[in-house]
Amino acid sequence: MAVEGTVAPVPATRVRSDRLERIVGQGLALLLSMLIALGLGSILIVGFGENPAEVYSKIFKGSLGTADGLGYVFAIATPLIFSALAVAVCFKGGMFNIGVEGQYIVGMVTAAWAALSLDFLPAVLLVPAIMIAALLGGMAWAAIAGVLKVKTGAHEVVTTIMLNQIAISLLAWAINYPLKFKEAPPGQNVDLRTDLFPDEAFVGDIGQYFGVTPGAHLSWLLFVAIAAAIIVWFLLRRTRLGYEARAVGSSPGTARAGGISIGGTQLRLFLISGALAGMVGMQQLIADKGYLGAAYVTYLGFTGIAVAFLGQNNPIGIIFAAILWGILSRGEVALQIGSEVPREFVIILQGILILSVVITYQVAKRRLLARQLQRAGAAGALEDSAALDESPGPSGPEDAGAEAFAPSDRREG
Amino acid sequence: MPFTDIAVAIQISFTYFTIIYLTGLGGLFSERSGIVNIGLEGLMIIGTVTGAFGARYFTDTLELGQPWGPLLGLLFGALCGLLFAGVHAVATVSFRVDHIVSGVVINLVALGLARFLSQAFFGQSTQSDPGGPHLASMNVPLLSSLPGGLGRAFSDLSPFVLVAAVMVLPVWYALNRLRWGLRLRSCGENPEASRSLGIRVSLYRYQGVLISGAFAGASGAFLASEVIGNWREGQTLGLGFISLAALIISNWNPIRLMFFAWLFGFATAIPLRLNDAPVINLLPPQFIRMIPYVVTIVAIAGFVGKVRPPAAAGKAYEGGGSL
Amino acid sequence: MSSGDGAGGASSPPLVVLEAITKRFPGVLANDAVDLELRPGEVHALIGENGAGKSTLMRVLYGMYPAEEGRIFVRGEEVKIVSPRDAIALGIGMVHQHFVLVDPFTVTENIILGDEQEAVLDMSAAEGRVAELADSYGFQIDPGRPVEELSVGEEQRVEILKALYRGVEILILDEPTAVLTPGETKDLFGNLRKLREAGKSIVFISHKLDEVLEIADRITVLRRGQVVGETRPAETSKPRLAEMMVGRPVLFRLEKPEHEVGGTVLRVTDLAGEGKLNGVSLEVRGGEILGVAGVEGNGQRELAESLIGLRKPASGTVALDGKEITGHSVEDVRNAGVAYIPEDRHEGGLVLDMTIWENAVLGRHDDAEFSGGLGVLFIRKIKELAQRLVETFDVRTRSIEVTASTLSGGNQQKLILARELETDPKLLIAAQPTRGLDVGAIEFVWKEILEQKAAGRAVLLISAELDEIYALSDRIVTLYEGRITGEFPPDAAPEDVGVGMLGGAKREVG
Repeated sequence: MAVEGTVAPVPATRVRSDRLERIVGQGLALLLSMLIALGLGSILIVGFGENPAEVYSKIFKGSLGTADGLGYVFAIATPLIFSALAVAVCFKGGMFNIGVEGQYIVGMVTAAWAALSLDFLPAVLLVPAIMIAALLGGMAWAAIAGVLKVKTGAHEVVTTIMLNQIAISLLAWAINYPLKFKEAPPGQNVDLRTDLFPDEAFVGDIGQYFGVTPGAHLSWLLFVAIAAAIIVWFLLRRTRLGYEARAVGSSPGTARAGGISIGGTQLRLFLISGALAGMVGMQQLIADKGYLGAAYVTYLGFTGIAVAFLGQNNPIGIIFAAILWGILSRGEVALQIGSEVPREFVIILQGILILSVVITYQVAKRRLLARQLQRAGAAGALEDSAALDESPGPSGPEDAGAEAFAPSDRREG
Repeated sequence: MPFTDIAVAIQISFTYFTIIYLTGLGGLFSERSGIVNIGLEGLMIIGTVTGAFGARYFTDTLELGQPWGPLLGLLFGALCGLLFAGVHAVATVSFRVDHIVSGVVINLVALGLARFLSQAFFGQSTQSDPGGPHLASMNVPLLSSLPGGLGRAFSDLSPFVLVAAVMVLPVWYALNRLRWGLRLRSCGENPEASRSLGIRVSLYRYQGVLISGAFAGASGAFLASEVIGNWREGQTLGLGFISLAALIISNWNPIRLMFFAWLFGFATAIPLRLNDAPVINLLPPQFIRMIPYVVTIVAIAGFVGKVRPPAAAGKAYEGGGSL
Repeated sequence: MSSGDGAGGASSPPLVVLEAITKRFPGVLANDAVDLELRPGEVHALIGENGAGKSTLMRVLYGMYPAEEGRIFVRGEEVKIVSPRDAIALGIGMVHQHFVLVDPFTVTENIILGDEQEAVLDMSAAEGRVAELADSYGFQIDPGRPVEELSVGEEQRVEILKALYRGVEILILDEPTAVLTPGETKDLFGNLRKLREAGKSIVFISHKLDEVLEIADRITVLRRGQVVGETRPAETSKPRLAEMMVGRPVLFRLEKPEHEVGGTVLRVTDLAGEGKLNGVSLEVRGGEILGVAGVEGNGQRELAESLIGLRKPASGTVALDGKEITGHSVEDVRNAGVAYIPEDRHEGGLVLDMTIWENAVLGRHDDAEFSGGLGVLFIRKIKELAQRLVETFDVRTRSIEVTASTLSGGNQQKLILARELETDPKLLIAAQPTRGLDVGAIEFVWKEILEQKAAGRAVLLISAELDEIYALSDRIVTLYEGRITGEFPPDAAPEDVGVGMLGGAKREVG
């Protein structure tokens, strides 16, 4: 939504009320879905014979009660911001990139290669070089899906699902062959992995400035992620590419008639999405572990999809959604001690939250649409009663993947 | 003796075939009814953890012997898959949530739910004790005595493999010869037409999605109890996605699905047994694992053949309403 | 022609009575206390403008929409119809404007679907039943063929057979001729007469007055959700029906401004492509409106889209002011001075989810005036433009910040016109520019198009409405099966133009 006021002399109050209604509507939907999640979670907690209020406060205290906890929250949020942004960029263009998973896996491989082979560089150069390698790896992997979509009409949902699986094998191959450690690390049964990266490859820890233990691995990457969110917001709202992306996403026919190249726009969005996805693996590679091993953190790409929904595909909303996700994830630790409720409860809670978010947004959007139509007035709407007859479906991001397995563009030539 | 290796690889491929085929059939029912189901992996995961529990519970706790204990375990996995698929059905059919979105959520939630259930069932969150009960394995009559070591391919198989292999008959019959199948398919091709003829689209779509859960759940249960012997986190290893790939490349057809399920199963089995065979030893095993996915991408991009999904699959249908 | 004797006289008891049906959609009163009677063995035409509530009323009868108020009587008894299933059980069938057929299924599968008789299908027996049914009404159809291989007319036959298979006595046809060629329409009318002879009652929804006068026994006119009158073909005429439909005499003619015809602006030579265009040649000069008349589906869409650059023609040339622009991108064609009003406002004209100001700049968003070298949009400039457009073209909206979806159809079209004409184009391509608009908006659009001519611009008007062609054009050409089949002066007899629209002999301007 536009942030600027109207330049023109129009009844601003009504406009503001429109926008307000949308924001309030979204806010209420989010609040409602949280309440539903907490409510359903309470039933589970009671089932374990505990007091919901106590368990919830334990979770929130565990993550928000101490500087350390907060440090962990932000460290968890960092890769999720990148991942959700990657999803959101494609969403805005009417595409569903569920390949962030594979794109960051490939990004980790290229980044690890850069970290190991450019070890002669000083830290100032090596860290950016690693990130660029990750960006390029993610972009390359996304480009496959993007090009196939644009050139052959192969639906991105199908191709990215497949590319995710291929990426997993690719990483396994990389750490088995070209990037396999040269000196076996000490210990008997060590996981397969690369050699340790040089110390210069690590991105600086910022936890120390806030009294967070190094174990949280809170790094400068957090600020990179926030900067990325702002850049993506600007890109989508204030630039030609963002404008074209949204036009293509909402009405491809109109975009084409307006002289916009659909394929070109989609491909560029996929590349940007892939670049963002490439950054997802940085937290674990160069803020935390310092090597790429078989036991890498998976599912960050899929979790990013959940975070993107939670943040309504709004780049700024995504920052907060990722933090909320981090709060819940970190709070899990607090359940380990002195609670009958297993820590896995938090994952269930996150799942319920996402499900209720998805459903309440869907319902809220319909309501809002109906009300808008109502306000468009009888005269106008009557003409369009044909459109009404087909009861207008929801539009926008959530619909992006709707025709996943029906690539009609291809079938009709 | 190379034949033995090939025979063993084929024997393993039958096991993978069973998993891929059953899960793929699940996807087939869902998608032919018009609901895209990329949550197959998640449904399988639920099947693994509940199936492993069910096999133990019915065999050890209730002391039901062969074959009832393990069999009920498989059915329990199927039932739990069916129930979990209900989430996808409610979201996509009743609330018209985007099918892909819901499918992703299903996969995500399944991970957490599996750990949660494992904690409840086994007191540990990432695996159960190995060596769980399973159906007595069997040799296929005649085929298991093929000469040259080839008989090995048909020996020592879970009876459930045969169940999967003959499953094509009832499935094909139900889809093509029953009124129910005609209606289910019409909902996947043109729900508007179905509704205008008095068919309750949402009812059939619910059935399609729930059946997909049952199949994927049974497949997961088979994997955990019959193949591995216990539940372990991550044991599905993307087999749900391979099933989806097989489904797509077989053009949503149960007979062709049989072939591709076996082919992809064989590709999965190669690295386990035929790593050192000539030609194959030139390729790292990881590349062989990529084959099913690469083949599917090539097919969906239209480079070879042509796949045509059910026309309405994936489209939120407004007229469906609630049950 | 007069109605057959089989038509139910006023004396026979009505088969269906709709009493004070009221149906609301969000913000729309689609049916306002509508009464309607249908008698046995009659063809009852339901006519009205787009949005008058004809289809809605019949969907209420067919159980697709619940009515808020009103009662329905079938054969004298009050009934509740809450689903198509109920309607079918009462002997009511409906053929929708857009066919609802399952493409990969055979004719038989489509017909028996939902009424399969037995749980295990016996397809050959079913095919026999379908063949027998088709024969009994003299319908030509192959029961074993997949529907995706059928022509439009055959598909419609399948739809009618679907209803007959369910033993309906009452058949509702929603705009059945909209998609048919004249030949197919003739076949359809023949079939309808056979059905009437067999005692079926038919509701014929249409806005084509000639057809209604030809086939109907009785006519009910709807306007803005209300019944404005009921009549018989013998008692009325086309102008009187038109007046009933729109509520005031139709503006069949506007004053055409005079303007000196300038040089050739658009020259199209032997344009062909995709099997839909088979060598179109035409010329439009400055200060001239060239009307392209024709039955829809004869290449109109392909012609417009090839000219604007959305399609690449296989052969032939397009020249603007003598410069060739064949196969250029939309962007280049627009920059060369072509404006375009697409036939589909929602998938071509506007991005409904985007705001009015964002829509106002579509197509010019990469002009140096509206975005910088780094691709940053100049939001303030764009909003100024939008405000100007909204004011000059009287687009009724609360603000330029709301999405285009909140505009009425007429105002959406005004916004498109405003945007397209702002650039001072050399050529305006207007494809079906008044489709789905009410009379007031049609008048606005027509005046605006005439004004372009007065300003010396060239206008290519593509329309399926002959009235529109006559009201605006300085010259008329007819398009049939992708070819220009005739050229006519603006005062040519409509019958002659009609011959051209049906592929008749090529005639030169006298």
